[in-house]
Amino acid sequence: MTIRILLVDDHPIVRQGLKTLLEGRSGWEVVGEAADGVEAVEKAKNLNPDVMVLDVTMPRMNGLEACRVLRRQSPQLEILFVTQHDSPQMMREAMEAGARGYVVKSNAARDLLAAVEAVSQHRVFTALNVRESAGLR
Amino acid sequence: MKLRILLADDHEIVRRGLRALLEKREGWEVCGEASDGREAVEKALQLKPDVVIVDIGMPNLNGLDTTRQLLQHDPHFKVIVLTITDSDQVIREALDAGARGFVLKSDAARDLVSAVEALQNKRMFFTPRVNDLVLAGFLEKGHAVSRNEAPKLPTLTAREREITQLLAEGNSSKEVACLLNLSTKTVETHRSNIMRKLSFHSIRDLVVYAIKNNLIQIEIPPQPPKTPTGPTAA
Repeated sequence: MTIRILLVDDHPIVRQGLKTLLEGRSGWEVVGEAADGVEAVEKAKNLNPDVMVLDVTMPRMNGLEACRVLRRQSPQLEILFVTQHDSPQMMREAMEAGARGYVVKSNAARDLLAAVEAVSQHRVFTALNVRESAGLR
Repeated sequence: MKLRILLADDHEIVRRGLRALLEKREGWEVCGEASDGREAVEKALQLKPDVVIVDIGMPNLNGLDTTRQLLQHDPHFKVIVLTITDSDQVIREALDAGARGFVLKSDAARDLVSAVEALQNKRMFFTPRVNDLVLAGFLEKGHAVSRNEAPKLPTLTAREREITQLLAEGNSSKEVACLLNLSTKTVETHRSNIMRKLSFHSIRDLVVYAIKNNLIQIEIPPQPPKTPTGPTAA
């Protein structure tokens, strides 16, 4: 299955790590990268990816704001947060902003592939430890 | 002969990124990875890498204390510290710990290769801000840097700093004892000494101290904007 992915994180080294992981899957392609929310919104419009892997804390426009804009601009796009924030409140906020998935950065190497696969099929994926403490199923 | 590099960062995804960046260079090899400071020290002693790259904000043993321990074992270790902030205090502590390179994580894709090259050629590598601070200190004969410092708290020993970090990370005395192969009683003695030296009365004071002194780092969630801003949907 082909999945076109846009990576958004303000640290190039994190994007590089995510990219090597994602491009190990046959048929998955990282079609672009962005370093903040403003660039993410622009690139989503131009590149029309299937999935956006989005950080929360970024300069200019943070991931939550970008997610809200993207929900209106690109309703077909599935958004997966990959963030350092291991907190149920942040996960709730992310899902309320319109994300389909939430992965904690420290577990990204373990969870990312399953998460991208799930959200690309319009299924919800949330990190187990955060989900449990949020009281979600 | 290949240049052998050890990577220490608690995020596997960051280690992957660093590895991909460094292994693009012919003749460089990532000989090992560690996910916390303690593991980094163990692996460095075992693998004897030419360069060790350590993240400052690691659990169990932070990057600064990792650097100190490495150089205590062998002063020939060449350590590059990776950090998310280049505040004066962090710079001073990294220099004090003996790091020979200092790279901001946000600039790692641009600066890390140059930093490793510098160390390979027996030079040091610092960000422009570090250079400015060192120069300011030099020009004012070392007084400029120290004049604005807050009054210093009593110095903790390396072991006390290690225990402070572990306690501030939420470990009980028993858990700390287990992690450091000490008896619970010994850890409790250290704990009392730390609290007495710093005149602290609660673990909360200790956590605040650990954050202020970069023994642990916290991620601050983004604040909502005061007024709605940003591009609107097309």
